[in-house]
Amino acid sequence: MSANRPGSGEDTGSVKNGSMERNSSGALLDIRDLHLGFRGYTGYTKVLHGISLSINRGQRVALVGESGSGKSVTARIVLGLLQETRTARITGDVEFQGNDMSSLNASQRRALRGTRMSMIFQDPTSALNPVFTIGYQFTEVLRRVDEKLSKEAAYLRAAELLHTVSIPDPARVLDAYSFQLSGGMNQRIIIAMALANSPSLLIADEPGTALDVTVQAQTLQLMHDMVATHNTAVLFISHNLGVVREFADRVYVIYRGRIVEEGATQSVFESPGHAYTRALMAAVPRVTGGGIPDIDDESADFHDPCFTHDSPIAGTES
Amino acid sequence: MSAILSLKGLNKVFGRGRSAVHAVKDVSLDVAQGECLAIVGESGSGKTTLANMILGVIPASSGSIELNGVALPHKRTLEHRRAIQLVQQNPLSSLNPKRSVGASVRLGLDVYEIGDRADREGKVEAVLSDVGLDPELRKRSPAALSGGQRQRVAIARALACDSRLIVLDEPTSALDVLVQARVLRLLDTLRREKGLTYLFITHDLSVVRNIADRVAVFNAGSLVEFADTETLFNSPQQDYTRQLISAVPVLSAEELNFRSALQSREHKE
Amino acid sequence: MNRTMVILFRNPLSLLGLLLVTLVVVLAVFADFIAPFPEHRGAVVDFVYFNKAPTARNIMGTDLVGRDLFSRIIYAYRISLILGVVVLAIAVPIGVIVGLFAGYLGGKSEFVLMRLTDVFLSIPPLVLAIAMMGVLEPTLLNAMLAVTAMWWPWYARLVYNVARSEREEGYVLAAEVIGASKYHIVFREILPNCLPAIITKMTLDMGFVIIIASSLSFLGLGVQPPTPDLGSMVAEGARYLPDSWWLTVFPGLAILIAVFGFNLIGDALREILGAEQ
Repeated sequence: MSANRPGSGEDTGSVKNGSMERNSSGALLDIRDLHLGFRGYTGYTKVLHGISLSINRGQRVALVGESGSGKSVTARIVLGLLQETRTARITGDVEFQGNDMSSLNASQRRALRGTRMSMIFQDPTSALNPVFTIGYQFTEVLRRVDEKLSKEAAYLRAAELLHTVSIPDPARVLDAYSFQLSGGMNQRIIIAMALANSPSLLIADEPGTALDVTVQAQTLQLMHDMVATHNTAVLFISHNLGVVREFADRVYVIYRGRIVEEGATQSVFESPGHAYTRALMAAVPRVTGGGIPDIDDESADFHDPCFTHDSPIAGTES
Repeated sequence: MSAILSLKGLNKVFGRGRSAVHAVKDVSLDVAQGECLAIVGESGSGKTTLANMILGVIPASSGSIELNGVALPHKRTLEHRRAIQLVQQNPLSSLNPKRSVGASVRLGLDVYEIGDRADREGKVEAVLSDVGLDPELRKRSPAALSGGQRQRVAIARALACDSRLIVLDEPTSALDVLVQARVLRLLDTLRREKGLTYLFITHDLSVVRNIADRVAVFNAGSLVEFADTETLFNSPQQDYTRQLISAVPVLSAEELNFRSALQSREHKE
Repeated sequence: MNRTMVILFRNPLSLLGLLLVTLVVVLAVFADFIAPFPEHRGAVVDFVYFNKAPTARNIMGTDLVGRDLFSRIIYAYRISLILGVVVLAIAVPIGVIVGLFAGYLGGKSEFVLMRLTDVFLSIPPLVLAIAMMGVLEPTLLNAMLAVTAMWWPWYARLVYNVARSEREEGYVLAAEVIGASKYHIVFREILPNCLPAIITKMTLDMGFVIIIASSLSFLGLGVQPPTPDLGSMVAEGARYLPDSWWLTVFPGLAILIAVFGFNLIGDALREILGAEQ
């Protein structure tokens, strides 16, 4: 696949050192047996108990779970943000494009973010800096990859990219500040910025949860189309099963720091194998009616081992 | 069914002159005794402003709010206040972190001077068990409770003074889906057992479908559609309502069919 | 409690602060038992031992009329602490009440109260105190009054800011909907949430009040002789530097220890109570 897209992805990596290369599975992102704990005032708290997760190029993978399940910290480890927290203890392998993330230092990890790996967070308005114009922030993002890019060229490129996310008047938007624009507009800008450098991985942590439902539906559709055009893989973090069903190819369900079910979206939703997944699905009220779901308190079989719908994805890419 | 609450030509304008914002525009509706009436709208639809006027937190610019046929003045008496209670969206903020659970639940009893000290403590314990909590939790700080437990405490506070009308402002939006289901079920049970009337403010139409008797859809401050739940979902009259319903993320094949049927009707019209 | 201990013991500076403040307080409280020459706090003259460098008899030396410096410093601590406590005991409630009502009520009350506060804040504190002391007689009581007058606005400001953000919290709306009185909302709901910020600032301020009071007496406007005061001791001794170094160095160190100790404790409290600002 990378052969078809010269100039992107693995071939141009500035971070890659020959010695670190160890592409064993062929996956874009490969997390194996990830453990995480925090040292606190009252002792050591384990948050992740061995997460394994893998994403192929261009694949949209969802990590679904409730608050406190460990889904957001997993995203932050992939982004290399948690490694800088002194109280966090991380073990296990995180490989991105065949590079072991734990062997990178802080500045190498920073170099990855916004270039080959980018992110979208929950609230689009707070993700943009209110004291700079959209144009200023956008050109900064573009120049992270191409430092020689002139101001004018970057500006034109930004306008072009805003056009692709259906912003009708890019010139006006580039001169505006985030607080002058609607939440939906800001979300489109964020999507355009996140994909501006054609990253190979996009991490979307509850994107658009702060937006209205109609706007959220539109921007999710937009994100879906945009990652397809850029051939960007997505790690989609969400608690909303409906949104996940519409967005992802593949689903991992996480419960209290453990993956309890994984598989293709359709098989997981049509025949959930794990008690926790079944409970989650049953708990969502249906727009077709049927009454308020009757959910038991947490049951012992929520701790059953992981239910896998198919063989691990290694080798499925072809 | 008699109306417990009637809104008549209610308006709210914030600011003056050119910068004036008409947040609620000429809203009239009746809330029947014992029903669950959903107020649905997106942000900026005026649903929270409407709630604040009903609760007497902000004055209406014009129009009247009648409780059991009697117009409420803006300066509410304690008797008026006692009649309408509130459950907010975020239980993390709606419970004072520096006061015990019991003190928060007891506030209304103290303010309305209901019974003596022992009566009040007894009532607090009783309503905590009504909402499915251990009465011993009254001594704890809200920080020691989970999100679902905190929301149950907030519900207990609304129930403590035997009020009949409760404004529920997005009561489950901040909760996880499993917790949401349990809290919704609790709310539904309490309504039936205690004959409560709910004004259920939300943006989540799948919740509305399963808990409300009637639905009022708001857009940009106006009431755009008002119907009983079945009618509204099966044959929405307004494009806006249809858009709202079809934007709901769905899970099952049944829901997908429902949505495409809705969308195809939209295209035909 | 557990967490408090961990924070305290994890950071050696917090522990040092605790140690210094305890030392100062113990010295001040038990001055009568600790001071080798308790009578030297007053107008005593001893020309046998005047202006002597530190010896075994007078570990910090003696002053120009032969009084034991160590004893006088201990009593000066007592005066400083009393001054600090009294000033804060008056200034804090005034500032807190002004700030709470301005922050919660908003509108006209906010305008009037906070502009009044701004007027006080716009005058440099030392200048205000000097002006007041110029008009009033320079006594300990007036020194307290002067320092109090310049201290409360800072609390008004601090509490106003906290109260304004707390006003937006759901629990305030909940109390309003129930119909609780303004006094209940201000004192029972909002005030407890301002306490961490207030307590932290009070600890830090103990040190600053001691400095300001010393500054006033350094200028001859504060505590009057023969009552021992760290500021006037430094001022007096400064004329005899560098020969009689002990006259300035030890009172100066005493100020440093007290202020430093209170600051360290304030920083630790800030972390323990999780206060903003």
